[in-house]
Amino acid sequence: MSGAPILQVRNLCKAFPGVQALTDVRLDVAAGSVHALMGENGAGKSTLMKILCGLHTADAGEIRFKGQPIRASSPHEALRRGIAMIHQELLPFPNLSVAANIGMGREPTRWFPGWIDQAALARDATRVLARLACPLAPQRRMKDLSVAEMQTVEIAKALAYEPGLLIMDEPTSALSEREVEALFSVIRELQQRGVAIIYISHKMDEIFRIADTITVLRDGRHIATRPASELNEPQLISLMVGRDLAPTPAARDSRGDPALEVHRLTQPGKFRDVSFTLHRGEILGLAGLMGAGRTDLVNAIYGLAPASSGAIRVHGKDVKITNPAAAIAAGIGLVSEDRKQFGLVLPMSVQHNLTLSSLRGRWIDQRRERALADAQIRAFALKVTGRHQAVVHLSGGNQQKVVLAKALLTEPDILILDEPTRGIDIGAKAEIYALINRLAGAGKAVLLVSSELPELLLLSDRLLVMREGTVTAELDSHQTSQEQILIFAMPA
Amino acid sequence: MRASSIKSWGLAIALVAISLALSFAKPTFLTVPNLLNVMRQISINGILAVGVTYVLLTGGVDLSLGSLVALSGVVAATLAHPNQHALAVPVLVGVLTGTLCGAVNGLVVTHGKVAPFIATLGMMTVARGLALVVSGGRPVSNLGAEFTRLGGDVAGLPIPLMVLAGIALLAFVVLRNLRLGRYVYAIGGNEAAARASGIDVAAVKLFAYSACGATAGVAGVVLAARVTTGQPNAGVGYELDAIAAVVIGGTSLSGGVGGIGGTILGALLIGVINNGLDLLNVTSYYQAIVKGIIIVGAVWLDRQQNKS
Amino acid sequence: MKRTIVLLLVGVLCGCGRQEAAHSGTKPITIGVSLLNLSNEFIVMLNESMAAKAKDLGVELIVNDAQGSAERQVQQVESFIAQHVDAIILNPCDVEASSPAVDKALAAGIPLVNMNSETKAAPSAFVGSRDEEAARLALEYIAKCLNGHGNVLLMNGVMGQAAQIKREAGARAVLGKFPELKVLAEQTAEWDRAKAMSLMENWIQSHGATINAVFAQNDEMAMGALLALERAKLKDKVLVVGVDAIADALQALRDGRLDATVFQDARLQGATAVETAVKLSRQQPAEKQVYIPFRLVTKDSAKNY
Repeated sequence: MSGAPILQVRNLCKAFPGVQALTDVRLDVAAGSVHALMGENGAGKSTLMKILCGLHTADAGEIRFKGQPIRASSPHEALRRGIAMIHQELLPFPNLSVAANIGMGREPTRWFPGWIDQAALARDATRVLARLACPLAPQRRMKDLSVAEMQTVEIAKALAYEPGLLIMDEPTSALSEREVEALFSVIRELQQRGVAIIYISHKMDEIFRIADTITVLRDGRHIATRPASELNEPQLISLMVGRDLAPTPAARDSRGDPALEVHRLTQPGKFRDVSFTLHRGEILGLAGLMGAGRTDLVNAIYGLAPASSGAIRVHGKDVKITNPAAAIAAGIGLVSEDRKQFGLVLPMSVQHNLTLSSLRGRWIDQRRERALADAQIRAFALKVTGRHQAVVHLSGGNQQKVVLAKALLTEPDILILDEPTRGIDIGAKAEIYALINRLAGAGKAVLLVSSELPELLLLSDRLLVMREGTVTAELDSHQTSQEQILIFAMPA
Repeated sequence: MRASSIKSWGLAIALVAISLALSFAKPTFLTVPNLLNVMRQISINGILAVGVTYVLLTGGVDLSLGSLVALSGVVAATLAHPNQHALAVPVLVGVLTGTLCGAVNGLVVTHGKVAPFIATLGMMTVARGLALVVSGGRPVSNLGAEFTRLGGDVAGLPIPLMVLAGIALLAFVVLRNLRLGRYVYAIGGNEAAARASGIDVAAVKLFAYSACGATAGVAGVVLAARVTTGQPNAGVGYELDAIAAVVIGGTSLSGGVGGIGGTILGALLIGVINNGLDLLNVTSYYQAIVKGIIIVGAVWLDRQQNKS
Repeated sequence: MKRTIVLLLVGVLCGCGRQEAAHSGTKPITIGVSLLNLSNEFIVMLNESMAAKAKDLGVELIVNDAQGSAERQVQQVESFIAQHVDAIILNPCDVEASSPAVDKALAAGIPLVNMNSETKAAPSAFVGSRDEEAARLALEYIAKCLNGHGNVLLMNGVMGQAAQIKREAGARAVLGKFPELKVLAEQTAEWDRAKAMSLMENWIQSHGATINAVFAQNDEMAMGALLALERAKLKDKVLVVGVDAIADALQALRDGRLDATVFQDARLQGATAVETAVKLSRQQPAEKQVYIPFRLVTKDSAKNY
């Protein structure tokens, strides 16, 4: 299964202004093996991968690929040598076809240079999609696809280069069960052909299913490299975190007055006749598959895309929420699933992002703003160089904490969390779980949307399950199971 | 990697270096009268650049500035004949003209969902036409001394420069200390997130375009006072000079990043180059070439600095 | 002068004849007019004088504004041809780029009169003035006032335009005759008052009290230079001369601020162009080239304008 190292990394160092991202990192990846790279957000995984695929240049150290020293200076150069990467953040060309996206950069030509052979382009796309067991039509526009389908196209795009080393950064974060299975079988097929794979994921079960070897990074340093068979989950977590995680606090049993009542909320094509009640001090989970309408529902409650009919009551009073400003005024806060689109102003500083929703009055009280920002940075243990650091330079977990901290600064009574732990590491996850519990304990009403069933079962008091835009079940979290939830979530 | 500090040290250094070189080549450059001269000459472009900084920060653009300068100048001039009205009338009506046109730009962009490029391009030709209609195609001259004094000096300081200083300071404070200013940055950085944060995006944009139109109105009044006529064909191409100053100063064309300090530096750089090349008596054809090279060079230096 | 009067008489006579024709019910004559730029005061004056003359003669004018674009001008002439106008008056934007308009009209058998400035292609007739002459008059006035020696600044229009090239050539020709008249600096202010003002301010910084005279190629720039000199309190020592005799400049002359300008007779140019076009459309004999003379206007003669 494994052979000689196809990739050897030695003493790699990389610094960014204010951060030493990597210090003397080493990594050996054998041809035909799946090598999992683990570490908390900010541990240096992304930086290492970006250097390998030519997006960054290392300050010091050596990289050998197939025995050749390389200093890839551009993604193009890395691809030419056979290193392809599937990024966690999708980078599609939304107005081009699936085939054009897959073939981007190596379009087949005919007749004369630069004339794209559209038929061959579509043929190549179909062939590589077939290997992924994906029935997408190559002429469809990217923007019409679901996130999962786009992810599949990204994978197809990387495969089309026939790479010797394929880097996958959280490839399954938006995939359904079936699609994950298809991806794994592709990975196994690639392995047999001698392709080396570096696999980054926060999902432990995936790691232990697919990885041959595991390397752990922490704070930009190499911590350990072990065969996957010699590690178990708690051992791996303690290597990543550098300490044992405190167990998650137990659920509360108090339930207060109704805080949010939703009555027959309908948005044609998205969701219909959704009714539920959320109480003070309660965590209400919202389960369902991708496309079940959960995000559309919470966006409607928050006024991002108001529902066409139905009623919303807050603390027993009817409220009309036509935009987010009205929702904030009614005491509703939202942490969106898409933090880059709705949560953060990336070029702005941490301080300015934190206070964006909670500035009051005409003038900004600079001193108070600074104090608030510093307090939130401390309370959420944000890893930043200072409150003036632009959020674009933060790791995913820290960005997510900024979004949470920002929503909490508006002092909402009702907090809607849409996939609050997507794409963040295990340590940050534990912190966020603890925080959610604390908030509910303090009497806030929490509506939690998550695709991770264990998370929902662990945190919520009650569970709503949605399927194709309607609520199909209300379950007691303490007396149900993942299997039971899936029965209500799966299309009939 | 601070998000909101002065990003233009490289530009300031370039400006100082060019000034030093000029003062060696032509000692008259570094004299108080000539420096005041430079200030006087950047005033109009500076005022416009400060206004359009707001629009660029929201991620928009305003191409109608030059035409608005002409329209406000002509409108003010028709009310500024000797002994016609109190000084405040032509000044206020001129500024109001610019503000209203800016507000129309803002409404078309926010409520009409027309791309800023198109909306303000339309305003550019409409305002130019209005300026020609109001003036009958001829310069409006014979203006009162009270009005034309606005283009001159008081206590040795050019009034246009003081106007620029006042507007720049006001704009700086609004961006830095007012909620409104913060929202301007937020909208340019990520409009969807700004909306999700409870910001009334349309109102803030309307403000930005109106403020930009107001500065064009001020510039039109000051220009008319300076050249003692309201000229319907004045200000052609001023929008590009103003946008150039802003972008040279480090404000991103896609919005969300930049500020007034950089804009003033950008306007100064352009002004110093124009003045220096005239002082050195560089031939017209070569002026254009040298100007282009120096501007790109200075910005290149600045961006290299920012990267490291 | 005499020729002007003769031309005027011819015009009046011709006009009367035409009016009778119009009243007697023959098909009215239509003339297409493409103007350089209607936001230029001088062109506005040309346009007004043409309209007045056309009304007198009972002919119809279709006036298009090329807004400075030679390409647009060619399109306008093409549409005149398609409309079968009887004659075309072209106020060219550019010597070279407007030439296709002339060729196309002549090829379609429609007489074309160039007004105010020239094209490379030869038209049926030309009505205008010699730009060299304007500069010659201005520089000779400066030479006379300075007794043939002193320091002169030359302010040019947009570089490369016919008027700029010719006015510069005219100025250079006079300067050649007065070796003691020295050119301190020469620069463009693009016909623009605000730009001229900035340029003059910069010149005051570098040349200061050594400046004796400024020749600006149009009055807009002369007014800008004048304002800058007045603000620097140097006007008493410096002669400022422009070209065009626009209303503002004439007023400044009467007020004793400006020293001289050169009068280009927009009224006569416009009227003569219309007359020539009418004659050509009727296949009557017309002069191929009509030059309307420039006249120097000084403080003393300004009250006559």
